Amino acid sequence: MNVQFKKGVLDLCVLSMLKDSDQYGYELANTLSALIQIADGTVYPILRKLATDGMVTTYLQESQSGPPRKYYKLTGLGRKTLAALLEEWLTFTRSVNQIVGGECK
Amino acid sequence: MTREEYLAALKRALGSLKETEITEICSDFEEHFSIGLSQGKTEHEISAELGDPRIVADTYLNDNTEQASGYRPTAQNTAAITQTVAPNQVPEKDLTGPRLFVILFNLFIMIWVAISIYATIVSLWAATAGILVASGAVLTTIPILPSGAVLGVILAGIGLFFLAVCIGILCFFLTKLSIIVTREYVKWNKKVYNEGF
Repeated sequence: MNVQFKKGVLDLCVLSMLKDSDQYGYELANTLSALIQIADGTVYPILRKLATDGMVTTYLQESQSGPPRKYYKLTGLGRKTLAALLEEWLTFTRSVNQIVGGECK
Repeated sequence: MTREEYLAALKRALGSLKETEITEICSDFEEHFSIGLSQGKTEHEISAELGDPRIVADTYLNDNTEQASGYRPTAQNTAAITQTVAPNQVPEKDLTGPRLFVILFNLFIMIWVAISIYATIVSLWAATAGILVASGAVLTTIPILPSGAVLGVILAGIGLFFLAVCIGILCFFLTKLSIIVTREYVKWNKKVYNEGF
């Protein structure tokens, strides 16, 4: 898929995935790379940026297998931003669909 | 690439970041490797899935410079979205031409024009002063002149005095005009130098 397409929506995707439950990096990277074919490694810079922007916080939690995992949790600001981004994404895709679908007369 | 190789390459590519940041980033990737390994993947598979460490590092480095633009849960999110899609691609304007023009134009032309204009104004002021002095000076000759010439000399003195006043007024406005023009010219120079034509 077009790289430029993905770039803009990765933040939205990550925030959405954290909406219902906290997740750790590996999980997020796995899901994302499986669904929209991005390199796993590019998820971590996004997570870090979201953390510095105050969208998510992190905490360590032990796991049964392997080392403790760093979990990501949405903050209030993250939730608000997610809502705003989602709203814009829906409006935007609706318009684009209208244009590419030829419904725009 | 093995885990060690991958982390070393990542570390190297992150070079310009702070030591603490590099450590934090690397620990995220170490965790990723550990979990991957515990799920039965090989180090090489995990490295391949993570993608080129240089590209990953670039993403960190670019994010760092864009941090200031951050997110706001408001209408500004539009800006945030477009920024991620097309990271501020306003190209830096090339100012070499305009700057060179300003420097050379001033050095070879304007400096001489300015000098001659200022010199003219200064000399006009000098002339004014000279004529003023002369108008007084002619009057001092009155005591040694024959009485028939006195009236003429007085008139000459008055005439010279008015001439001085007239040139003085002219000088005053010329000076004022030259100050205004100079100020505008300097302003224009700064604009061209900083923003181009």
